[in-house]
Amino acid sequence: MKNSSQFKAPTTPWFAVRKELSAKRRSLLIAASFILPILLWSIVSYTPFIWHPDIKLEISADRENVTTVFTAGNHLSKEYFPGFVEAVEAENSEILAARASGESTTSGFRARRANLKILRHMAPVAIANGWLTREEAEDDSQLYQVWQGVAEGTLVGSKVKLSDQNIALIKRNWELLSAKSPTFVSKSLPETPLEKLVPQGRPANPVYLPAPHEVVIQGYHDFTQETDPDKPSMWQRYKHSLRIVFFGFMLSALVGVPIGILCGTFDFFSKLFEPFIDFFRYMPAPAFSTLLVAVFLAHDAPKIALVFLGTFFQMVLVVSNTTRQLDASLIEAAQTLGAKTFTMIRRVIIPGITPNLYNDMRILLGWSWTWLVIAELIGVKSGLTEFIETQGRWRNFDSVFPIIIMIGVTGFVTDQILASLRKYFFPWTPESSEKKHGFIGRFVLWMLDRKVYDTPKNGKA
Amino acid sequence: MSDIIELPSYKEQSDSVRARFADIYQRPIKLEVKDVSKSFNTAKGQIDVLSPISFNVHRREFISVIGPSGCGKSTLIRMLAGLETVSGGQFLLDGKEASGPGADRGMVFQGYTLFPWLTVKKNVMFGLEVNGHSGTSVEQEAMQWIELVGLGHAAESYPSQLSGGMKQRVAIARALANQPQILFMDEPFGALDPHTRSQMQSHLLQIWHNVDVTIMFVTHDLDEAIYLSDRILVLKANPGEIQEFIEVPVPRPRTPEQMLSPEFLATKQRLEELIHPKEHTSTQDLPIVRMTSVNDNVE
Repeated sequence: MKNSSQFKAPTTPWFAVRKELSAKRRSLLIAASFILPILLWSIVSYTPFIWHPDIKLEISADRENVTTVFTAGNHLSKEYFPGFVEAVEAENSEILAARASGESTTSGFRARRANLKILRHMAPVAIANGWLTREEAEDDSQLYQVWQGVAEGTLVGSKVKLSDQNIALIKRNWELLSAKSPTFVSKSLPETPLEKLVPQGRPANPVYLPAPHEVVIQGYHDFTQETDPDKPSMWQRYKHSLRIVFFGFMLSALVGVPIGILCGTFDFFSKLFEPFIDFFRYMPAPAFSTLLVAVFLAHDAPKIALVFLGTFFQMVLVVSNTTRQLDASLIEAAQTLGAKTFTMIRRVIIPGITPNLYNDMRILLGWSWTWLVIAELIGVKSGLTEFIETQGRWRNFDSVFPIIIMIGVTGFVTDQILASLRKYFFPWTPESSEKKHGFIGRFVLWMLDRKVYDTPKNGKA
Repeated sequence: MSDIIELPSYKEQSDSVRARFADIYQRPIKLEVKDVSKSFNTAKGQIDVLSPISFNVHRREFISVIGPSGCGKSTLIRMLAGLETVSGGQFLLDGKEASGPGADRGMVFQGYTLFPWLTVKKNVMFGLEVNGHSGTSVEQEAMQWIELVGLGHAAESYPSQLSGGMKQRVAIARALANQPQILFMDEPFGALDPHTRSQMQSHLLQIWHNVDVTIMFVTHDLDEAIYLSDRILVLKANPGEIQEFIEVPVPRPRTPEQMLSPEFLATKQRLEELIHPKEHTSTQDLPIVRMTSVNDNVE
């Protein structure tokens, strides 16, 4: 490397008190602030020795005289799992012992049904390894062929690797099965009890922490799948939720902003409205949910009313405060120029507070999203929250996460778009000429074609 | 202060100056202040900010109001502009009692009070529009006022793009656009740097020369008061009352060079006497504490 004599601007060190970092370092950190949490999530999910307290079943088994039923995909604690395996093994050796001594515990129809159940425990393995689709796996004759394939060694698991113990067991079972019939005939299943597949599983995070890829796959599935016509699709749910936030917020702004401006302008309205509002806002909006359902009945109206109730009172107080913060000397200047009350509100107060009002509205819009989740649970459950609620009950957290993330992304993106549009609405604010475009700002500009918004500068004519 | 050079009395006026004042007093009275006072009621009782004061201002006169802090000079001018209520007395504008703020009395504030969401041109048009004028003539008229303060090139700029001096020039244009009977200025150049400030002073005199307007100007800068004014109203604090109404003996047209003339210095000496009377802030009284070692003597 040659010594370059060119002047190089000193870069701000990473930790400089109240100094802005270089643009490159800032972008790097902004990217990192999103990548780090995802990285942490991935590390926890994909490193088997970090926080994997559970075993996720790949193959399950039914136990004799035990009512708790586990199916593939269920989580068992690491402490419980060996006991489960041992119990199934013990039952298998009893079966083998009974077979050896020639006594038959069950017979006929019941024996065949028990054996069919054992056959069907292969289904999750067949689906996971891609041997059968979900629909095909419900067909017993197809499963029968899977047993044959595994026993003859033509099917080898890639995703779910069958243990040697299970392969040996499958071979022994297949001898019995194929002796009766090479293809599936429900009447000609052997009556001799088959050995049960020994439970298999792999270490897993707790059930409430699905891995990133599971969330992505499940999210894609939930958003693209055909649902039955009685139930709304995910996009319909999304639109429904957006509608409730939008109407709740708009109604609240329609009433709240004028009242807020009046309170900030006239002490009369301030003293008339604000004390009660100040008191009312301490009553949590969800506490009114049953009342709202009684008044507005079960569908969207009480939900919109709840979002309204949650944002309205804050809005009046925030807007009146913003109004009061308008520089009093602007009002005095307008007075000495001859502006009277109404002109003052229309031509000085309203234009003067709009930039701050715009920011207030952004923050309050964020709040109305929080109320949405509660709003959708009252009356007839609806929208994205209903989906979260149902899936959460079934412990399908890989379905829950995409929705939570989507609500977050919607709020964040809306806010960023509004923030970057601010400079076009208020070109006169000092910060609009200082700030550079952020990532989303540049994206929006690119989408809108910025020429439309570039006003000609004739300042130096 | 003046042991070195013998100054004339500030009351000595040259013939031309005397003739000018005779002419001023011939003019009609623009503003008549009669026993105007201001007091506040507080928990501790009534506080008199301004005892009843009376004076007259003639048409196209330039009056400065000066005094120590707390003498109520800003309060006086804010009352006259209608921004504060009068506790007692009354004031007449062209012989008619005025109350509340109105377009007949313009005001320029110390802080920058341009409407930041309006361009320079729209700011100047504001007064015309709220007083019921509209159409293209308003725009033309506004442009004339902007040209008058020398900012024709910045008509489409927003206030945030202007320097402090430019902002105050726009504020003057905006106030003048209403063609007020009298223009009140409350330390309008107080926030400007010394260079811009002296530019603005010359500029203001020029504007005043070209426009039919009477000006009342509050300041705490003695040079500024003398340089600009015909007469200086000197107030005294606690409670505020008139100490003296000084006729400035410096002839017009004024130039910055006059600041070293005997009349100017004599007036300044008088103002110093009135505003800072025999203050005990001599450094001799301070204890001598040396925090660091001092080897060489600066004196």
